[in-house]
Amino acid sequence: MTMAPQDFFPHLADWVANLDDVFPGVLVKPYFAQFEVGHLLALVVLGGSSILLNLRLIGVGLTDETPREMNRNLAIWVHIGVIGIIVTGLLIGSSNAERLYTSEAFSAKMVGLLAGVVMTYGVTLPATRNNGEVGSLSRVCAIVGLAIFAVAIWVFLSAKLANPGLWHVIFAAGLIVAYATRGLTRIVYLSGAGLMIVAQQVMTHVVFKADDYANLDPTNKAFAWGFVVWILGAAIVHAVSSGRGANGGSFTKAMAFAAILVWVMTAAAGRWLAFA
Amino acid sequence: MIRDFLVWMATEVGKGPGEYDPSWTDLLASSLNFWGLLEATHVLSLMLFAGTIFIVDLRLLGASFKQTPVSVISERILPLTIFGLVLMIATGVALFYAKPLLYYHNIWFRLKLIFLVIAAINIMIFHFRVQRNIADWDTLAKPPTKARLSAMISILSWILIITFGRFIAYDWYNCGKALPDWANAVQECQSSETGAVNLKGVAL
Repeated sequence: MTMAPQDFFPHLADWVANLDDVFPGVLVKPYFAQFEVGHLLALVVLGGSSILLNLRLIGVGLTDETPREMNRNLAIWVHIGVIGIIVTGLLIGSSNAERLYTSEAFSAKMVGLLAGVVMTYGVTLPATRNNGEVGSLSRVCAIVGLAIFAVAIWVFLSAKLANPGLWHVIFAAGLIVAYATRGLTRIVYLSGAGLMIVAQQVMTHVVFKADDYANLDPTNKAFAWGFVVWILGAAIVHAVSSGRGANGGSFTKAMAFAAILVWVMTAAAGRWLAFA
Repeated sequence: MIRDFLVWMATEVGKGPGEYDPSWTDLLASSLNFWGLLEATHVLSLMLFAGTIFIVDLRLLGASFKQTPVSVISERILPLTIFGLVLMIATGVALFYAKPLLYYHNIWFRLKLIFLVIAAINIMIFHFRVQRNIADWDTLAKPPTKARLSAMISILSWILIITFGRFIAYDWYNCGKALPDWANAVQECQSSETGAVNLKGVAL
């Protein structure tokens, strides 16, 4: 069994097949590219505002302003971005439904979207509004959001041909940690990551030939797990060693870190729809 | 001349001694996952680059962070923007390298390049002219007209760059299809591998 929507909702096949012949799909179809641009622009607005809000909770970026002030200025753009991606997504989806119905990457994207909405409205926005304080409701939302995010990662991981897209999430996580860490932690972290990158290149380009998929696949997967452990380890060390700042503690930082990655994963799955 | 260079780059650079050995362009375009990773990284870096420059432009327009000095917004956010830009350019160049002739004869790619140049000139003008007396308006909720104009040009340019970038994937004006004369001329279709065909179906 695959993880495509058709595997979970087989009884919807006839309805899905007809979607591009009825409103709104039939109207959107001739302007698919234009609506795609709208989807991309909404993603850009959401990306910029969400990244800045969550980086502020981590303790980097626009640190001259309080998280509350950031929220006051950026929340509207988060709303516009989220509404924009959902509305344009529904419209382009309705005109391209059969393609999405059979796509595992689409399943990962939808579960990721749910996790993103829960993390953004349940954690990021309330936490920035309260200057980094995470209330009990936000803690519940964080746990629910993380659980959904884990499911999204699992679905993405299961999506054959699309799962290399998970490298984007690992890369983004690595960059956030590099940006957030300071001093010795950053030096050790970057040195270790650099060594792992060199080792991976040697293994996949020198030790094994380019067409030796039987060895390349498990090697790349082993390195992916190695990177995940290294990056998360550094993130935990940073979150714990930086202590409780004026605007939230380790939990707030960890959830902000996850909230950025949720949107990166959702966007990556959306892009990998085109390849698998 | 540019086309000749691109043909050489696409067919000769990195090519082995054998007649059918692939060039680096062939290898990149036919890679199992690398091209996909490049393409998606290009889009994700756009989220970082355009998403953050948009916030800086909103401040210059006096629409956001009105109480924060412009210099603080620039100092804190622009490093992220520049990192996104570097990543976007690196992946963009690599994507171009994979299919140089396809992009060279594509009207949307050409429009995208024109607006990239406009955006770059706008950044230069802002950096060397508009920003020169930033101390006079750094803390103003509504910066002077020249700063707001620069921000407006920036936002519009990037919206158009994103739009044209997305349109590249569509074959509406691909050379070899029956096209209006202006489209064949703008894309230099006659020198393309598929040639130029006018709306009457006549090969030019």
